[in-house]
Amino acid sequence: MKFISRLPLKLLGHIVFLLFFLNAWEFASRYEWLNPTFFGRPSGIVIYIFKGLFISRDLWLDLSYTVAGTLISFFLGSTSAICVGLAFAMFPKLEKASEPYFMVLNAMPRLALAPLFLLWFGLGIWSKVAVGTSLSFFIVLASTVAGIRGVSADHVTLARALGASSYQLFFQVTLPSAVPVIASGLRLGLIFSMLGVIGSEIIAAEHGLGQVLAYLQSTFNMNGVMGVTLLLAFFGMTLTVAMAKLERIFLKWQ
Amino acid sequence: MSDSAIAIKFDHLRVEFGGNLLAIDDFSLSIAKGEFVSIVGPSGCGKTTVLNLLTGLLPLEQGRIEILGKKPVAGNLDIAYMLARDSLLPWRTTLGNATFGTGIRKISKPKRDARALELLHQVGLAGFENHYPKALSHGMRQRCALARTFALDSPIMLMDEPFGALDAQTKLQLEDLLLELWQAELRTVVFITHDLAEAVALSDRVIVMSARPGRILADITINLSRPRSVRALQKDPAFHLIYSQVWSELERGIMASGA
Repeated sequence: MKFISRLPLKLLGHIVFLLFFLNAWEFASRYEWLNPTFFGRPSGIVIYIFKGLFISRDLWLDLSYTVAGTLISFFLGSTSAICVGLAFAMFPKLEKASEPYFMVLNAMPRLALAPLFLLWFGLGIWSKVAVGTSLSFFIVLASTVAGIRGVSADHVTLARALGASSYQLFFQVTLPSAVPVIASGLRLGLIFSMLGVIGSEIIAAEHGLGQVLAYLQSTFNMNGVMGVTLLLAFFGMTLTVAMAKLERIFLKWQ
Repeated sequence: MSDSAIAIKFDHLRVEFGGNLLAIDDFSLSIAKGEFVSIVGPSGCGKTTVLNLLTGLLPLEQGRIEILGKKPVAGNLDIAYMLARDSLLPWRTTLGNATFGTGIRKISKPKRDARALELLHQVGLAGFENHYPKALSHGMRQRCALARTFALDSPIMLMDEPFGALDAQTKLQLEDLLLELWQAELRTVVFITHDLAEAVALSDRVIVMSARPGRILADITINLSRPRSVRALQKDPAFHLIYSQVWSELERGIMASGA
């Protein structure tokens, strides 16, 4: 009973707050207490999003490029990172030898490489995929290595005393115990893929919400900038929620 | 004892760590097949080291060990090992954990499932087969570990303080459960503990070790009839009499060793 009565009350609180906030913003810019050239206004933002999505429909193409770029770079970055991480676990010497190179690469600000990637891969989707992949790769790699190192000593002792082969030990003990840590790395990797893709688009791209954002900003269309930012926030939120859902399905033992 | 009746034989064992830390010194002991032997001693006396030598996880440098006539090797199928902590795999269900050992040893799935289900029933975990360890209490988790250990058909069981982390009540319950399972098959058990009462209640023989370097201070045969109930023993004057005898032997051993 308490739960039922509390929930709508909370929701009501949010609605009241948002109504107040948006109205204050709307009126402040209408009476020019806030400069609308710099801050836009809620009604303008809604109109921009509505037009872009349902009337001219030109936002869809850019949105699809950003979404595809993010998903492709997440897929490439995380699968290659997990493979490299597993190779490191199986051949510790390889990890030792390549550590300094990876450290330098990881320390490099990847977004600064975007101009280079643009030259190499062009203005299409592959330059932003390269930036997104390079960002997500290291995050997922670090968590894969940490997850594999974090295997419980008791579990290893038990498995070895039972006579587990190194193959059995790896696939039945080490790898499953690393999965939760890898999963949290994947969650971060997804967000970083999006970050890399949008960053790269802002620098230069044929299509993509980042490019739309850069154009709107240079033409002082603040309603557009706010609208696209809002769309990106929704996109990011959808990704995070979807990942959390997947995690709950695959890690129900946690 | 004739050689065919011996399950485990230690001959003048000596273990040094890092070349100067003497962990175990002059350790000789024969354990008969089907015997339940406890090794008690203060922490750091090398009890767990003795087990690690038996499992082959620690290389033997000085002295000899024979397990059913063979040298210790890692993954010896004659040995089932149970650790102090339950070490259940959190991503496996109760049934999955109970079949972990038999799975590693490549017993076919229907066979290992049937054996594990039977044991889970015996240890009182029927109905919890599909629960994950996080949903089980400490006692239940250790019950599952017992099932995992007994599912292996190894003639020798090594147990490293398996009930050390449990509360007194649960501990008594699980000790009885262990005796019940053991009584049915009479496998050889080497049971490590620092609890003298537990050692006396469970064992045929209690080996008392000194503080580091670990030496054998006393080797005491426990003349309590089988089958036993650890819970019933708590009220049995004979148990308390033997317990105090073992305790004085232990004291004498400590005095004699000058510790």
